[in-house]
Amino acid sequence: MKEKEAQISFDMHPLVLYVEKEDGTYGRVESASYLSKNYLEDYFEKVRKWDKELKDQLDKGEISPVYYYMTMLEMGEGDLASRAGIPKWKLKKHLKMDAFEKINLRMLRRYADVFDIPVSNLLHFTVIKEKDQDKLKITYQKSSNNPYISVSKIEIK
Amino acid sequence: MKEIDFEHKMAAHCESGTVTALLNHAGLEITEPMVFGIASGIFFGYFESSNFSFPMFIVRNKPGSIRKNIAKRLGVKFYTKSFRKSEKGIEELDRLLEEGRPVATQVDFYYMEYMPEYTRTHMNVHFINVIGKNEKNYLVSDSYYKEKAHLRQELLNKARFVGGHMAPKGFLFYPEYIPQDVDFETAIRKGIKKASHDMIKLPVPFVGVKGIRKFAKKVTGWPELARDIDHLSHEIMKINVFLEDQGTGGAGFRFLYATFLQQAAQKLNDTQLEGMSKKMMSIGDDWRNISYFAAKIGKQRDLGEERLNELSGMIYAMADKEQEFFTELYKMVK
Repeated sequence: MKEKEAQISFDMHPLVLYVEKEDGTYGRVESASYLSKNYLEDYFEKVRKWDKELKDQLDKGEISPVYYYMTMLEMGEGDLASRAGIPKWKLKKHLKMDAFEKINLRMLRRYADVFDIPVSNLLHFTVIKEKDQDKLKITYQKSSNNPYISVSKIEIK
Repeated sequence: MKEIDFEHKMAAHCESGTVTALLNHAGLEITEPMVFGIASGIFFGYFESSNFSFPMFIVRNKPGSIRKNIAKRLGVKFYTKSFRKSEKGIEELDRLLEEGRPVATQVDFYYMEYMPEYTRTHMNVHFINVIGKNEKNYLVSDSYYKEKAHLRQELLNKARFVGGHMAPKGFLFYPEYIPQDVDFETAIRKGIKKASHDMIKLPVPFVGVKGIRKFAKKVTGWPELARDIDHLSHEIMKINVFLEDQGTGGAGFRFLYATFLQQAAQKLNDTQLEGMSKKMMSIGDDWRNISYFAAKIGKQRDLGEERLNELSGMIYAMADKEQEFFTELYKMVK
């Protein structure tokens, strides 16, 4: 790759490329992600679509919240089970509502920790209307004493 | 804030980047491509496993091998430690920082909150250098970030002690001994020999050039594994991510390896190796074309049988080229 082909600028996603310089030597240049620069919007569109489809399925009871978060975070079943500290067969059951509704709070908390969300988010979504998404944001704060309790704050950006 | 005087520089790859920076800090002059090449970093493997949400491929050797191979071939000794209890691991890192040592540690990439959110996935084999600490934060030098970054203590601790596939277990390391004289010639030849061997001779059907062929064969079956066309598009575009964006220096480490071969040729005054470095650069260009192609057809949802066969053909061609290349390279250092 020639140095001039590596002149990609995209501040959000810089990276190092190794290229052929003008004098024929190979070396590093600070460039940026070609994919992020050109196709990021396409990715976000897909994510929005999956989010909507999966929430519809949740609404109908076809999948469990564990399935929702696992899919959105693109995690493998084996990896998720190991992070949550349970056997894979058990995780597979928890992907459906009839087993999910038997989960105790402690198990729910393990999943919440892996997904990096408050426990309550496994049962509740807070959504900001699309037109207000530039103005508002949601942040979560877990209680430092009680891991089951959290506060969601809706703030102006 | 306790901050160690440490030169931060972005690097192509997290493991070769942290190792290079630590060696430089300890006084050994060496470049990232040299570290990568001597450590036989270049590789290929195609995997289907429940640890991943979809089939995936790797373009480098096993995480941890860069450090291990560098130690073996350069005679550097690394202090290494992993921990069963997180408290011990936190204590040890803090103790080393207190001594003024920059320390590399293995983390789950997901918790590196200074990185753009959309890139942050759970991936347990990221490496960063930790170079300072205050009441709230650790100061880290991450090869993928432009500047030194602050990372909340709570997040670094989580990132070091998560479970899952290849759990980090707080693993940390730093070079504790650097030899006076390093025999670069032998190290380079051994590094090349091992990498070429692993690319063409390992009797495993999904690694090396066999792995590239497996990838070429399997990719046409991806539509059956995807939830729908958008999911398929996403996975096809991730070919570009694996080759270009996950810390490879471009073209799935092939540009980095070409640079290594050029630097090796100069060090050893070997014109044959110089020629090989040019060939590797050209192989890299072909991989980069696959990246662009995957991004394009993914975006256009142009993912019918014919197009995927075309993609598959491009990948098969890479297997042939790399087989020829590494066979030739292997003979040179045998």
